[in-house]
Amino acid sequence: MSSSDYRRVYSKFEKQLAPFSTALVSEFRRSAEAVSPLLSREELVQWAEEGLELARQSWRSWEAAGEYFRASPQVLEMLGFAGFGRWSQHGRDLAELSSALSAAYFRASPGTLSNVSFARLPDWVDLGRQLYKGTWRSASLAVQFFDGSPNLFANLSLEDARVLVRFVDSLCDRSYDLAAHCLSIAPQVLTPLSGEDRAAFLRFAEALASTGWADARAYLEKGPALLAHIHSSQRVRFLGLARDLARREGRQAFGYFAEAARALNQVDDELHGYLLAQAEDLVPLSAVAAMEFLKSVPRVLERVRVEEVGNWHSEGFQLLDASLEGGEAYFRLESARGEEVLESLSSRVDLNRVGEILRMYCKALTGDDVAIHSAETLAEKGIGWVDEAPSTEGTAIFLPPTVEQYHDKTENFGVYKVYSTHQAAHLEFGTFLFNFEREGHVFPNLRREREKGRAAGKEDGQREPLTDMERFFDLFENRRLAADLFAIVEDARLDALVEHEYPGIRAAYRRTQRVELESRPEVEGMPLLQALIENLVRVSLGGEDGLRWPASAVQLVPLLRDAIDVMKTVRQPQATVEDAAEATLRLYDLIAQIPNVVSEMAEEDWQALDEESLQLMPMTGDSLGKDMDLQLQGQEMPYQSPQPVDFRGEFKPELVQLLMRLRQERQGQQPPLSPLSPEQLRAMLEKSVEVSINDMVDGDLQQSSELFLTNLMKELTAQEQEKQQPVQRMPAKEGEPVSGFSTPDDERELPVEPKYFYYDEWDFRAGDYKPRWCRVVEYSVGEGVPQYFDQTLQKYASLAGQTRRQFEMLRPELFRKIKRLLDGEEFDLDAVVEFLVERDAGQSPSGKVYWRRNKVERDVAVAFLLDMSASTDEEIAKHERRYTQDEFDDDPRRYFSWWMARRAQELLSPPKRIIDVEKESIVLVIRALETIGDTYGIYGFSGYGRENVEFYVIKDMDERFSDHVKKRIDKVAPVRSTRMGPAIRHATSKLDTHDAKVRILFLVSDGRPQDHGYGRDRTEKEYAIHDTHMALVEAKRKGIVPFCLTVDRYGHDYLKQMCADIGYAVVPDVESLPSRITTLYRRLTE
Amino acid sequence: MIEVQESDETYRQYAIEEYVLSQEPFYLPVTDEVELFNAAYEQKIPVLLKGPTGSGKTRFIEYMAFKLGRPLTIIKDVTEGGDVKTGLPLVTVACHEDLTASDLVGRYLLEGESTRWIDGPLTRAVKVGAICYLDEVVEARKDTTVLIHPLTDHRRILPIEKLGQIVEARNGFLLVISYNPGYQSALKDLKHSTRQRFMAIEFGYPPRELEAKIIQHEADISASVATELAKLGEKVRHLKEHGLAEGVSTRLLIYAGRLIQKGITPRRACQVAIVWALTDDRDVQRSIEEVVSSIFE
Ligand SMILES: Nc1ncnc2c1ncn2[C@@H]1O[C@H](COP(=O)(O)OP(=O)(O)O)[C@@H](O)[C@H]1O
Ligand SMILES: [Mg+2]
Repeated sequence: MSSSDYRRVYSKFEKQLAPFSTALVSEFRRSAEAVSPLLSREELVQWAEEGLELARQSWRSWEAAGEYFRASPQVLEMLGFAGFGRWSQHGRDLAELSSALSAAYFRASPGTLSNVSFARLPDWVDLGRQLYKGTWRSASLAVQFFDGSPNLFANLSLEDARVLVRFVDSLCDRSYDLAAHCLSIAPQVLTPLSGEDRAAFLRFAEALASTGWADARAYLEKGPALLAHIHSSQRVRFLGLARDLARREGRQAFGYFAEAARALNQVDDELHGYLLAQAEDLVPLSAVAAMEFLKSVPRVLERVRVEEVGNWHSEGFQLLDASLEGGEAYFRLESARGEEVLESLSSRVDLNRVGEILRMYCKALTGDDVAIHSAETLAEKGIGWVDEAPSTEGTAIFLPPTVEQYHDKTENFGVYKVYSTHQAAHLEFGTFLFNFEREGHVFPNLRREREKGRAAGKEDGQREPLTDMERFFDLFENRRLAADLFAIVEDARLDALVEHEYPGIRAAYRRTQRVELESRPEVEGMPLLQALIENLVRVSLGGEDGLRWPASAVQLVPLLRDAIDVMKTVRQPQATVEDAAEATLRLYDLIAQIPNVVSEMAEEDWQALDEESLQLMPMTGDSLGKDMDLQLQGQEMPYQSPQPVDFRGEFKPELVQLLMRLRQERQGQQPPLSPLSPEQLRAMLEKSVEVSINDMVDGDLQQSSELFLTNLMKELTAQEQEKQQPVQRMPAKEGEPVSGFSTPDDERELPVEPKYFYYDEWDFRAGDYKPRWCRVVEYSVGEGVPQYFDQTLQKYASLAGQTRRQFEMLRPELFRKIKRLLDGEEFDLDAVVEFLVERDAGQSPSGKVYWRRNKVERDVAVAFLLDMSASTDEEIAKHERRYTQDEFDDDPRRYFSWWMARRAQELLSPPKRIIDVEKESIVLVIRALETIGDTYGIYGFSGYGRENVEFYVIKDMDERFSDHVKKRIDKVAPVRSTRMGPAIRHATSKLDTHDAKVRILFLVSDGRPQDHGYGRDRTEKEYAIHDTHMALVEAKRKGIVPFCLTVDRYGHDYLKQMCADIGYAVVPDVESLPSRITTLYRRLTE
Repeated sequence: MIEVQESDETYRQYAIEEYVLSQEPFYLPVTDEVELFNAAYEQKIPVLLKGPTGSGKTRFIEYMAFKLGRPLTIIKDVTEGGDVKTGLPLVTVACHEDLTASDLVGRYLLEGESTRWIDGPLTRAVKVGAICYLDEVVEARKDTTVLIHPLTDHRRILPIEKLGQIVEARNGFLLVISYNPGYQSALKDLKHSTRQRFMAIEFGYPPRELEAKIIQHEADISASVATELAKLGEKVRHLKEHGLAEGVSTRLLIYAGRLIQKGITPRRACQVAIVWALTDDRDVQRSIEEVVSSIFE
């Protein structure tokens, strides 16, 4: 076809296109030029025809035509004219729906068709079509889809795209913005994912959108990063699991997905496959449980070995099979059963579980009140200790928080036992009671001479040593060496004593020592002096057979032998800490002159030394060392302390003595040292090798030592406070008291530290307890004025008198006569007469002719538990329904005058609240109980949330009634919520320590139990009722009589359930509470 | 004494006030309690033995009864068989909640057409001049203490209301009571008016070496095992008032020793005779067991 031909054809079409838009014409022309070499004339005409038809198809479809023309050259090249028709037909079809859609289709075609085969072309179009719902928003989404297609299909298969579209489509129902956003970020989100992962990712997205659409965006944005936590081969599986969850449970699926992914991130990713398989096992029963399982894995692995996870899982599986809620709570680690299983599978031993046992064990060994704490706390104090190794500072023993050295619990406990036995030995065998002046038992005293000798060479004005230990170490030039020697010798002495005194622990002790020996550094290659010390450490651990010494220094072997002899001497049972000091002196003299040189000889130079070869060596004279030839070759090295022995921990005798001294001073047992100034302390610290100030804090020495001093004083104050509060023994498992922490600010105030107690909570759905779920904080109520008490008594004078008389009648009637017994105190005259008469009458009389008095003692202990929730703030008038208003409805004047009167009344005396009546009742109760002499405690409770159940002590069980109690009653006021269960449990544990014949727990409340998180959601009431009921049942099981009294007139509704089998009463008329409470109490105890 | 022959078993039956020890009981004095008691006996000062259960109070009084009886024969030998009585008669009454005054003094019994009075143990001791030992006296009813008062002052008399009689105590009579201050309960405390009529001898736990000797003798075991048991006793007593209401008694240590003597392993013997006997608290049990397993292999 000639060019004029073309031009003719063109101009014909141009003319027809011109009315639409000039832009369209130029588009046509540009395109025509590009396509003409590819097409025949007829084809060209068809092509142009097609464009024209499109432009004419509908209003604004000319825009689509423009895109058609523009895309044509490329599309033609890709599809050829044969496919081209089908292609344009799709565009025409789309234009029927929306010209914008069609335009977008054409526009996207060149970029998309390179990734989507011609055969799949209809599928692609269908996807776009699917999004179009006839609304402009759907149209723009579909347009967005086509526009994004080149990018999208560059990475996604059509299958993927199909899922993506379904996902986006389902989001449209909720929000087009969300859908658009998701669609727009999809390519960059999905691109990094591998093919399989991507499909799975999208399938989960789709499931998520159908239920938890709100999370869709978060999922799309954060999902890939979360997914990256999972081992690459396991991602599909994990997503499958998440999808199952979304399908079954709907909401929260994304939350589970995210948390489980994070949890798996904390686990070795080689385990992911195994764990996911385990999780999948649970899915048929509960997809939630499967996810909970994964979430809990890191925490479980902290306690049990990987090999045990299967056992933990299968226990839970069975539980889940029996009870869904129970199993889910199990995997959530919120069940007592789960806790039990973990504990039994775990070989790890936690200090907080065995601390109490170890404390009593150490107390038994030493006879002192030693506390047991985690070693972390010692390092935190900043008073010189830095390691988290076992140690003692003289009053407490510090141990690592957990031990899992062995695969067996008993063995791990054994480790704790060895640790604490060694530390206790310091206290039991008087390490810190070292007295410079005291004689030893096995060595003659060299200290005194030595001190004199040194004093001669020193000028006056030397500072007096602060402690005996310091004075002792002052004897040495090389203080570090002396301290190291002393530690070795003293530990050797203690270990020997322990083995002597406690044959039963010998085996465990030896084993520990063997383990330590195995981990000692090699002696070979150490500088000589250090090698010698290392050999001594080994000797102290019973490793006499593992000694090594270089042949080139053979002339020093006798010296080593003498040193070992010194060690042997100090291991005799009668040796004291003073002997250890003497041994230190002797060892120091023996070896201080050994140069710390590295032997230049080769490895072979080092030889094993056994008992025999030691003995074969020539004796060293008394003049040993003085003129011995010590010309050893080699380079002198700075001395380094030996590697510490783990089970012996950190040993700081100088510091401990300082602390002890300060403690005694503060308690006035010793005259104070000339005021201990920071300078003085600094001097001591600089000298001592036990603290390296720079280890503790950065900054200059001046500051550091001041900080050290502050810490020291703080510690002493804290210890004194602890002493003042005698340690109470509580049931170890439940309600274990844990002291709170005080910040440095309230140090001066010396507030009573709140005590914390933990209790389980009953989850009726799981049919199990949630372990250590609630934290009860015990407070003492503040004190107001005592007048309140007396005024209340006056106000209720007649009731008070009446109650008192009633109670007096209950007074222990000591003896009750029982008649007609076979044996007893005395004859019952009537019975004897009867007996004689009957016998004379020939009958066989009953021999029951005695009586005896039976001792009946009133022995009652009661705990009153008052509801102090915010609702007790309510005025009684309001509480008691407003029927008054109805009464006056027909006569406004009467109502008005009534109202005026009430207002006037209210101005005179403020309206009474429920709490006021509770308080008044308590006053009367106290009055009555004091008459009768029952043991009683009065407590209030409130709080918010499970971590913060407040328990107020108004009068403790053991406390005597006093003005303090009166003043506290004045201060009783409404606080917050009503979590009854833990409060009841705490009151129960208080009652449980009292062994009275009759023990009563008397609960006074104004409504149903409720609290934040005390139920599945805000409206649920069942959970709280069940837990409270269980708490009451627990009390009953302990032989306590619980009784619930409520002023809630609708109380019957839930009390029936809450107090099944338990006594309760409803007092509909609040004002009568004071009289009711005493009457009820009397009846209960009669 | 009556010898009773029942099938093939013979047993001896004594009237309560006739029972005297024929063999010297084993007793190791801890301090000067023997001299003190001798002096009290001479001076007719009633004695209160104070101390935790199992600390040797009963054994001590038996020992003293034997020793005191030795030089002077207070009771005429009533046996035909010629058993030589060597001790001083000792009437021991274990007091309990329901012990009443008539349980101590005596009561009427029906006999045939009439009634017959029968003396209670206290009356009998008063009449024969025996040592009357009221063990755990606080347990008895309060009305019993009233009886004690006239016996403990210079009058040394026992009024018997029912008979309208007053019995003067024979020369050798001495009232000895025991009391365990361990239970600190107001209800279970001796009244001051009663307390102030007695001199008190305190019984603590003997020191390790002495206790070891006692255990060795009583359980018939080696000195070393006895020492370990005594050591255990000492350690466990550190836990007193600290999880344990009372420290372990010498008696329990002896029980453990006896079990060991019969071939029970020491750890097991201590568990059943000491740990489980002392407490039901799991944690305390466990701590004591740890002490046991540290001491015994
Ligand atoms: N000082 C002692 N000498 C000999 N045995 C003793 C001594 N102290 C205690 N015992 C032993 O302890 C056991 C219990 O003592 P016992 O006198 O029954 O105690 P108590 O009467 O104080 O409860 C005795 O049977 C005895 O074996
Ligand atoms: Mg006894």
